[in-house]
Formats: sequence, C-alpha cells, structure tokens
Amino acid sequence: MSGGIFNGRDAQLPERLDVDAVVVGAGAGGSVALRELARAGLNVVGLEEGAYLTSADFDQREDRMLALLYQDGGARTTHDMAIRVLQGRGVGGSTVHNTNLCKRTPDEILELWADKYAVAGARPADLHASFEAIERDLSVSEIEPAMRNANNEALRRGCDVLGWRGGPLKHNRVGCIQSGFCELGCAYNAKQNALKILLPQAVDAGARVYADVEVVRIVHDGRQVAGVRALARGASGNVRAQIDVRAPVVVLSASAVGSAALARRSGLPDPHGVLGRGLRLHPGAVVAGRFDGAIEGWRGIPQSFECTEHLSHEEGSDRRVWIVTAFAHPIGAAATLPGFGVRHMEAMRAYPNLAVLTAMVHDETSGEIDVDADGQPVVLYNMSERDRAQLAKGLGACARLLLAAGARSVTIPAVPPVSASNIAELDALDFSFVRPHAVPQTAVHPMGTMRMGEDPRRAVVRSTGEHHQVRGLFVADGSLFPTSIGAPPQISIYAFALHLSPHIIERARIG
Amino acid sequence: MARGESRRTGKLPASRDLSRRGLLAAGAALALVVGGSALAVFRTRGYAPPFGRVLVGLSPWQFFVVEHAARRIAAPDRPADASIPSADDTDVAGFVDAWVARTDRRRRRDLARFLAVLEHVAPLACGFPSRFTRLGPTQQDATLASLESSGSDLLRAGFEGLKSLVFMGYYRDPRTWALIGYTGPFVAPQSGPR
Repeated sequence: MSGGIFNGRDAQLPERLDVDAVVVGAGAGGSVALRELARAGLNVVGLEEGAYLTSADFDQREDRMLALLYQDGGARTTHDMAIRVLQGRGVGGSTVHNTNLCKRTPDEILELWADKYAVAGARPADLHASFEAIERDLSVSEIEPAMRNANNEALRRGCDVLGWRGGPLKHNRVGCIQSGFCELGCAYNAKQNALKILLPQAVDAGARVYADVEVVRIVHDGRQVAGVRALARGASGNVRAQIDVRAPVVVLSASAVGSAALARRSGLPDPHGVLGRGLRLHPGAVVAGRFDGAIEGWRGIPQSFECTEHLSHEEGSDRRVWIVTAFAHPIGAAATLPGFGVRHMEAMRAYPNLAVLTAMVHDETSGEIDVDADGQPVVLYNMSERDRAQLAKGLGACARLLLAAGARSVTIPAVPPVSASNIAELDALDFSFVRPHAVPQTAVHPMGTMRMGEDPRRAVVRSTGEHHQVRGLFVADGSLFPTSIGAPPQISIYAFALHLSPHIIERARIG
Repeated sequence: MARGESRRTGKLPASRDLSRRGLLAAGAALALVVGGSALAVFRTRGYAPPFGRVLVGLSPWQFFVVEHAARRIAAPDRPADASIPSADDTDVAGFVDAWVARTDRRRRRDLARFLAVLEHVAPLACGFPSRFTRLGPTQQDATLASLESSGSDLLRAGFEGLKSLVFMGYYRDPRTWALIGYTGPFVAPQSGPR
C-alpha cells in the first residue's frame, strides 16, 4: 500500500474506502495509532478535519495562524464564555502549535487511576517503555539554562529568591533558533512532533491521511463498529464529497472535545450516562509583571522553566497549581490586558517590559461535552469553589514570584485591574474577585471525556482503549484520562496511544 | 432545538449549574439580548452601506457599529500624534467583516445580538437616549465601559469578544508594532494553505 498525505480540498477522493482501520484525527494520538497500525502491515487511513500545512506555511502572523491552526479560529470557549479553550486543528493537531512541553504522566496519577478508577495495566512500570520510546522518537531533552529567555529567567529568579521548588522543563525540539513563535507553528521545522516525525513514519509504512475531511458520524449497530461517514470540504467550507469508510476498527483521536462530540452525535450506546462526562481543562489565568529593564518575552523559547511549589498530584490536595510563563504576541496580549482605548494603549506601550506567568489549575471540576443542534461541540464547565480557590492562590503566587524577581509592579487583568507594587500591597489584597468571568481564563489541555477503566458504570472504554459496548471502537487521545493529570498532556497522549496500539492492532487483525 | 440545547437532556445545559445569581444575571442579559434583537429588526434602516466596499460577513448596520466601537476600543493614547495608526487606518471593521464571513453560524448570531445591544440598548441603560453610533466619543466610552463592567456575565463576555476581534484587527497591522516595541515576525508572509 502506498502511503501519503492528501489534501481533501482539491484531491480526487474515493467515494468509498474499505480498510482494516480508520483513525479520526491526526494529532498526537492519531499519528501514533496510524504509524503503529501501518507498521503492523494493516491497511489504515487517517481522516483529519483541518488542513495539511507545513513549515513553509507558518508565517508567524497571529491573525493568519490563529485562523489556520486552532479550532474555531481560536475563538472556542466554554458554553458560558468564561474560559477560552485553545485546541489544534489540522494535520499534526495541537502538536503543531504547542510549546513542546514534555512531561510524563505523574506516577501518583497513574497509581490513582489503577487503584480508584480500575484502569488495568497502566501503572508506572507498565507505561515506562512507551514513555521511553516516544521520548526517543521525538528527541526529548531538557532546555539548557543558556537557552532560557528573559521571561523564564524571571520565573527562575523568583523561585530562587523565595526558595520555592522549580526547575527546567523538557521539550521536543531540535535545531531551534529560538524565534519564539512556537504557538504559531514552527517556520524552521524544529518541532519534533506528529507533523514532522510520526506522520511521515506512518506514511512511509503505508498509511494514507486525508486532510480537510471531517468525520460526521461513526457507523455502528450498537455492538460492532462498521466505519465512519465523512465529508470533504473545499476552501470555503463547502462540501466537495462524501466518503464512506468501511472498517472493523475505528480509532477516535480527535481530542477530548472532538472525540466525545462525534461519539455523542453518532448515538453510541451509553447505558450508564458516562459519555462526554468528566471533562478536565487545566484552566489558567495570568499575572503580568512590569520590569524596569527589557524582557521582550516574545523572543526565545517559551515555557522552559516551571514552578511546582504549589503542585501536588495527591488526590484532594489543596496544592494544585502549576506555574509557567505565558507570554503572548501582540494580539493575544492586547486581548488579555484589561480595559480599552487610551489607557489600554498606554499599557501596551509597556509590552517589552512585561514578564507574564500563568497559574494553571490541576482541576477537580468535572465538565461535560455535549453537542448543539448543528452537531457542534458544546463545552460545559462550571468551575468548582475549590478550583476557584486554587486559581486565586495561584495568581497570588505568580504575583509573588514576579515581585521577588524584581518586577516594579504586578497586574492581574481583572475588570477593574488589580495591581500591587510590593509584597505588603499584595498581602493586603482580597482575592475573592478571582472567579469565572471576572478574570480572563484560558484552557489548553482538555481531557477526560471518554474515560478508560474496567468498570463500565464509570468508564466509556476499557483499559485497552476499546469501547465497553461497541466492539472495534477505540479511543487514543486525551479523552482517555480518568482525571486531570496536572501536567501538559502531549507526551501522555503519545505514550498512551503507543501503549494501547497492540490491542488496536490485534482487533484489526481479527477483523 | 436551539443552540446549546442538549441532545441528552433537552434543556439548556449551562443552566444546570448556574447559581441563582448567575441565573438572574443571565436572565437579565437574555432579556437585553432578545430586546436588542427585536429592536434591531425595526431599527436597521438608515444605515448606508460603506462606500466602495462589498461586505462579506456583516450587514451595513453591523459594520457601522463595529467601525464606531473599534475607534474607541483602539483609541490612540496620544490623539495629537498623527503617526499612530487609527482603527480606520488599519481597517479593523473590514477585518471583522472578513472574520465573520469565515466563522460559524453560532458565533455570527452571538456577535449580531451583541452589536444590537450595543447599538440600541446599552446607551439607554447608561442614560443616553440615542443609538451608540450617534453618541460622542465620551458617551461611547461610557457605554463600552458599562458593558465591560456589566453585572451580566453574558454582556461582559460579549464585550470581551468584540474587544478581542478589534485588537486582532488592529495589532495585525505592522504599523502598530512600532508603538509597542514589538519586532514582528522573522519570515515573510507566505501563500495560503496548500
């Protein structure tokens, strides 16, 4: 079988395909599933609703790249519009625009899943080989101090001054020129991601990937999956063709939002009402610190240092905040800074002197993915009081770090903005203003809407990734996670897809 | 079935978890939005199409409201400095028009309703018996500020959405980058997706 990545916008497309397996979504999980299935000698196709773009297309312009690389052009939010949800779209998925963070699923989380959520065969020792293999594939390494930009250096300095726990982070980048445009796609092809590494390997092994092809329905009879129905779209979004893919195995890798929404609108059996539930987001908000000297946080490698002083992965902990840098290019910064008009432009003039930190909550809130009348995802998430308190605590910690690092003042972009110029002023602040809608929040790590586990009353899929009721239907993305993982999920998604792939291959061989 | 209505529950899903305060705020905002939409039906005449421009996403009245709002949201901090590009110079409203043409039906409708509230309802709530687009700059600023700090989560979110669009239109223009010391991209713009 000759592999390739085909553009559904203009390529000649088959009306019907008969294959061993079809993978929905070509991001982190989908790319691994495609590669492993193809390497096993199986006839596999991948269908990706977004476009096929490469480094030559990434022109470092926010207005163009947000529209091309992100779901809903970067405008996706929770249903109540309190949290902006940034997710990737296109061949490579979120691995194209993420900041390359590589942290394994914490051991405490894997043990929790085994002990409390009946996840079998996925304790730390069981996952070790998969983590090792995928980190080798993606050339994961620690970012050296010499490559730390001024914003990350401010975070390190803050940790040092306060004596707080922190350290360097690992990334999957090789040949990085430190341009700082990671979240807009890498024009230098330095990201060792699904787009650059795994999908070419899948194609070499015979996988075919169709871009601009949206799966609209999973075909099944309630007990056995039979394939998918998809629509190829033209440049203006018009439907060019319908494609019916017949396959005894379907792998959902369309993210915790996309996979659950597709499952919902396909009418999968859900006898225990668990489908789409359990959504976690890692919601976060930012604090900006104004320094006398230049920071120019848009330059250099983002998120190369972390503060874990307020992060514990023990269940029920009251230390559930992860702190990293969060610098944005001008459009993102302007949208986040409070106010408008004259005062906003005055604030924007300080842009080169700002360092920005984000407090991301390892959340307990359980949200849900539903679909609206058009079949589009609806992200329901009502932050719990415990998580709100964690966010408030995290913002206070970010402010303290920035002041310790030498910021002249810190600002939380609430309406009205909340500022402090020293620790005494910070200590005097009442953080009860931190709540949904009062402080702009962003989430980039949706997970947990088709949870795995052996108990069908609490899990959608088995520990093998196969649906409890529908044979041949697998999940291989962040939907699998029974709880928040309290770490960026990229490596976990890759590793779980690799870990589960023998089960998918076995089912595809049986047919 | 209306937007956001759950296939599973048949109810508005967000309402399940709303606090009483949130429910009241949402109700008030909904009344404003519905009222705004109704008003807009009757009061969308008298808006001339923008000269020399074919609109692709917005209607003429919507374009007019965005144009006025953008001038205030991206107002220069040094009005006498002619080197600062204005919202008109950077064609913010044209950018929003093109953005709306690309976005989905749900977001188009949400934006249209918010613009109707901004044009017809918010000024009244601020004590200005006039359309937003007929107010002076100071009154327009007061109207926008009232939405930014509204007790309604929905109206605040609507304002933030419009503000994000305006700044996306404004700060996409390289002429604005010098104002804020931003050095800009390293690579030249490429053609569209392959």
